[in-house]
Amino acid sequence: MFNKTKLQNGVHLYIRKTEQFKTVNVTIKWKAPLDQKKASERAVLANVMEDSTKQYPTLGSMRKALDELYGTVLFTDVSKRSSQHMVSLYTECVNDEFFAGEDIFKQLWQLIRSVVFDPNVTNKAFDPDVTEREKRNVRDRIRSIYDDKTRFAQKRMLEIMRPDHPASISAYGTETAVSEITNESLYATYEDMMNNDLIDIYVVGDIDENDIIKQIKQFLPFAARDAVKQNGSPDVKVSDTVNTVREKQDMKQGKLHLGFHTPVFFHHPDYHKMQVTNGVFGGFAHSKLFMNVREKESMAYYANSAFASHYGIVYVTAGIDADLEEKAVKLILEQLTALQKGESTEIELSQTVALLENSILSANDSARSQIEIYDQYKELDENFTAERLIEKWESVTLEDVKEMANTIQLEIVYLLSGKEDVSE
Amino acid sequence: MKEVNFDQLQEKIYTETLDNGLKVVILPKRGFSKTFVTFTTKYGSIDRTFKPHGKDELITVPDGIAHFLEHKMFEKEDGDVFQKFSLNGASANAYTTFGRTAYLFSATNKLKENTKILLDFVQQPYFTKETVDKEKGIIAQEITMYDDQPDWRLYFGTIENLYENHPVKIDIAGTVESIQDITAEHLYTCYETFYHPSNMLLFIVGAVKPKEMMEFIKDDQAKKTFDKPEAIERQFPNESTEVDVSERTLTMDVSKPKLNIGMKCNKVDLQGQEMLEAELSANLVLDSLFGRTSAFYEKANAEGLVDESFSYEFTMEEGYGFAMVGSDTDEPERLEKLIRHTIKDAKSNWPVLEEDLNRMRRKKIGQFMRSLNSIEFIANQYTRYEFNEMNLFDVVPTLEKLSMDKLKEAFAMFSDDNSYTIFKVMPPKTQ
Repeated sequence: MFNKTKLQNGVHLYIRKTEQFKTVNVTIKWKAPLDQKKASERAVLANVMEDSTKQYPTLGSMRKALDELYGTVLFTDVSKRSSQHMVSLYTECVNDEFFAGEDIFKQLWQLIRSVVFDPNVTNKAFDPDVTEREKRNVRDRIRSIYDDKTRFAQKRMLEIMRPDHPASISAYGTETAVSEITNESLYATYEDMMNNDLIDIYVVGDIDENDIIKQIKQFLPFAARDAVKQNGSPDVKVSDTVNTVREKQDMKQGKLHLGFHTPVFFHHPDYHKMQVTNGVFGGFAHSKLFMNVREKESMAYYANSAFASHYGIVYVTAGIDADLEEKAVKLILEQLTALQKGESTEIELSQTVALLENSILSANDSARSQIEIYDQYKELDENFTAERLIEKWESVTLEDVKEMANTIQLEIVYLLSGKEDVSE
Repeated sequence: MKEVNFDQLQEKIYTETLDNGLKVVILPKRGFSKTFVTFTTKYGSIDRTFKPHGKDELITVPDGIAHFLEHKMFEKEDGDVFQKFSLNGASANAYTTFGRTAYLFSATNKLKENTKILLDFVQQPYFTKETVDKEKGIIAQEITMYDDQPDWRLYFGTIENLYENHPVKIDIAGTVESIQDITAEHLYTCYETFYHPSNMLLFIVGAVKPKEMMEFIKDDQAKKTFDKPEAIERQFPNESTEVDVSERTLTMDVSKPKLNIGMKCNKVDLQGQEMLEAELSANLVLDSLFGRTSAFYEKANAEGLVDESFSYEFTMEEGYGFAMVGSDTDEPERLEKLIRHTIKDAKSNWPVLEEDLNRMRRKKIGQFMRSLNSIEFIANQYTRYEFNEMNLFDVVPTLEKLSMDKLKEAFAMFSDDNSYTIFKVMPPKTQ
């Protein structure tokens, strides 16, 4: 899969040479412990770094430089995993071979250098106008979750289920934390990120490995840092009673979200068994939820389950007529009970394993997916390959599925639905 | 089987039109693990008035029927087709647009078995009153889900403003009311009219051996019997080049106002190379007027009139077309003024310089090369291009020779004063 090179303590390079793509992808990930306030700082910082640099001091000049380089892609994003917060810089350029006489890739390194090491900073502070604008953008991004009722319902369910916990903290932090950012605090965050974060650099494409190592040493001289292990599973306090919460907004469909706890986390030896169990429960179009809630009862267009392995949470989402809440909850829980009683078939099991295999092998066909999957799984196994995981899935038995299902415990039923008086 | 090389792109396609009229296109991709297969009919939500196969009288069918039919293709006498795909490790799906219905799967294994399932399930309809009635609840929930999505309402509301009669203004899935009228007989009528192989295209891209695969498909199709191909007669109402409604507002529970500007295209009879040139040119015009390097964007961004949701697009199909520019914004009036001003200004004072054109050309060429990494993009877009008599792989050579005059012509397609409409989604007024 990827070849690993240690560049400095806490700074690693992962290269995958392949002729599969017409482009080269370079991704840099900065990783730090997840904290609500810091998350906001880092979200705004990511935006500000994408906007402009010393060399390209306006968004317009920055974007023109990228356009000239045959529409080279460069953007930042933030995300979280377990108790870790990540700032990612994603770049992608077309292979030089398609354009005689161009050296797009070399220029890409210069651009990355400019973004990472030479940001638009004067006297240890970012441009105040850019900072304010990007604070507004991140604030609006947080607010806009309200407009997407499925995302909003999921957010509410997690907040109620795991208050002030990594499971419910947003990778963008909070509106209040965003409003408290100054251009000086933002610069301090930049320095902290550059000096203390764990850094993983990924390169995928038709490249020469030795060249890449040379170029990175030249263009991206990251200093050594303490390589502290950051990413343990967060502690959880599970309530023994089931919480039922109903909230209202002006909307039509009922968004039903059920949250369940499982002691099986990403690092748990039974992790792969739980992935299969979730697949039989509601991960696919052959799964129990789809076949019964949608196809048999015609109650929903979507009815799925998902396994948030980093937080030990299984959740079910369905869009229903809110009047049918009770019936839908009963039907969903019946599917879980069936799993717990061992009422799944060899066919359901092999369908699920076949589709899990398909999805991980398919991920090989996108450079970005390769990077994201490896970045996650290398924490379990530095020599991770899709084949190893597939072997594990194939060894899962119906007895395992039953055993896993019995660890799944309902914690919350959350329904977001319309107010009575809504009319068109 | 015909082989066509696109040296500049390092791609090669294999095509053949079978005896029954089905067009098959195969594109092997080096290094890919999966294969993506789409089986698409040139039939979508706008095809509501037509002469049924073997009949002489035009009929009009209930709204939402193409999408309903798409759903019902998956249910057979012996159960749900997803079950079969899953057993073979294929991830299957389908979608309906204004002008197309596509059935698809992706798989890293058992390509022939899965292709056989795809061909069989799309070519063997099975509709009963019971199964049709049962689907109404599911689709009603799908429609309700879209009703709650403000960006979808904004997009569709704008199209409704633009068009007075053309069925592009009808929601693809229909309404909860209109789907109640759909019967199994309707589905058979639509199926027999639009699902003849001569109205369809099969595209296979990824890990595939072209010769072997083509033989396999030919054998399969030769074993099935189809009626003689018949030309399909559709009818569309007359539509003026002016917008139907110039401004409308919808109140929804959103955090921030949403503004969308629609500009109706006055040239809707283009096909083939002319269409490709017009469409690429229109995209370049929008890029230069509204893209992140434009004077408009610099101002709108600096003044906080747009946020990360800002976007623009150009759509062109046979019979309809439009440009759209929109964003979530706290100041819809000011943003609207700035967009209108940008359009007006460009008419008297053309803002695109030769160097801008060259830069955008490079950008678009690079974007296109990048998108060839996605086999989903290739299959879906190739089919759309083919149905409009264009070739996807002509994009780069066409971009290379686009002139400033073409951009000006394209701009004139959607910049008439009476082709302009405003749609807003506003939060409820606080009391």
